[in-house]
Amino acid sequence: MSVFSFYIFDRHTECIYSKRFAASNNAPPPRGAAGGGIQNGDVPASLRKASKDLDETKLIFGTIFSLRRMARQLGGADDQFLSYRTGEYKLHYFETPTQLKLVMLTSPNVGNMRTVLHQIWATLFVEYVVKSPLAPAEHTGGKGVANELFEGGLERFMEAVFRPQQ
Amino acid sequence: MASSSKAARLGEEVWKSRVDKINAEVLTLTYGTIVAQLCRDLTLPATANKTDYAAVNAELDRMGYNIGLRLIEDFLAKSNTGTCSSFRETAEVISKVGFKMFLNVVPQVTNWQGVEGKPQAFGLVFEENPLAEFVEYPDDGRAQDELWYSNILCGVIRGALEMVQMQIEAHFVTDVLRGNDTTEMRVTLVRYIEDEMPPDDE
Repeated sequence: MSVFSFYIFDRHTECIYSKRFAASNNAPPPRGAAGGGIQNGDVPASLRKASKDLDETKLIFGTIFSLRRMARQLGGADDQFLSYRTGEYKLHYFETPTQLKLVMLTSPNVGNMRTVLHQIWATLFVEYVVKSPLAPAEHTGGKGVANELFEGGLERFMEAVFRPQQ
Repeated sequence: MASSSKAARLGEEVWKSRVDKINAEVLTLTYGTIVAQLCRDLTLPATANKTDYAAVNAELDRMGYNIGLRLIEDFLAKSNTGTCSSFRETAEVISKVGFKMFLNVVPQVTNWQGVEGKPQAFGLVFEENPLAEFVEYPDDGRAQDELWYSNILCGVIRGALEMVQMQIEAHFVTDVLRGNDTTEMRVTLVRYIEDEMPPDDE
């Protein structure tokens, strides 16, 4: 169980927050000892190749945008897709009625993270970003999102969720 | 109506268990101070102390709009209501959950106009309005006809609904402070805002 990265997209389709997580302490032992590839922690090869973060967020947005549309076309206007899984990773998705989109990439064996994403939004984003008098109402260019409280809260929260289970 | 009693229950529950409360008079007095200050600051061009009430109304609406943009997130996070299936449901939720949760009042939804797919509008009749306690209008002969004292609420609703893909128009039509029998706001649905598309790469 480990988390690779986390993204927030706003209603203007812009990525207003992204965070990559270093390999957590419960990550499996690095394959191939001190090989060059492991400084990125447990990030799968498919993600490591993405040359720029920008391209990656665009790619992720494109994916969820299309998947979301497909889910609606097949399952009705209220349908939402929740996650998809590949051999290397699992993408979890949560959208608020205000079209804020929360995306999390984890290892494929992780269970349903919908409640976790909901909690991140309700207890961290709303409390520390939306209610922050210093943050603008629209976070163009991610302005005001990555403040200390949100950042710290997110780290602690993720740590608690992905703590090694003995 | 099933959905309306459900909304009422939800509003009651959120109000009881999930919101921080302050003394209502603190809010009343703070809001009163804001309006009074705006009336002093915004004067008609080339006059020292003739208030431009249209500008005060507009400023209150603008302030409310900015509140609404943020308030909606708090509202959704606390109430956990999903997307409304119709504008009628939206009206119920605004009155029974939204107003209940933030102001502890439940305005009556009245005077429906239009049907699904056509221009729709509803009225919100406030039997009590915590913002308007202890208010006396200035005695300049114009405030009674020009100032909408609680206009901030229109802005709040406009801002909040814009965030959930509804462009609306809201304004007060009557106010007991102006000597009317009731206080009523009309909310008109202009259109549903389409999802934004990502910009083209090429």
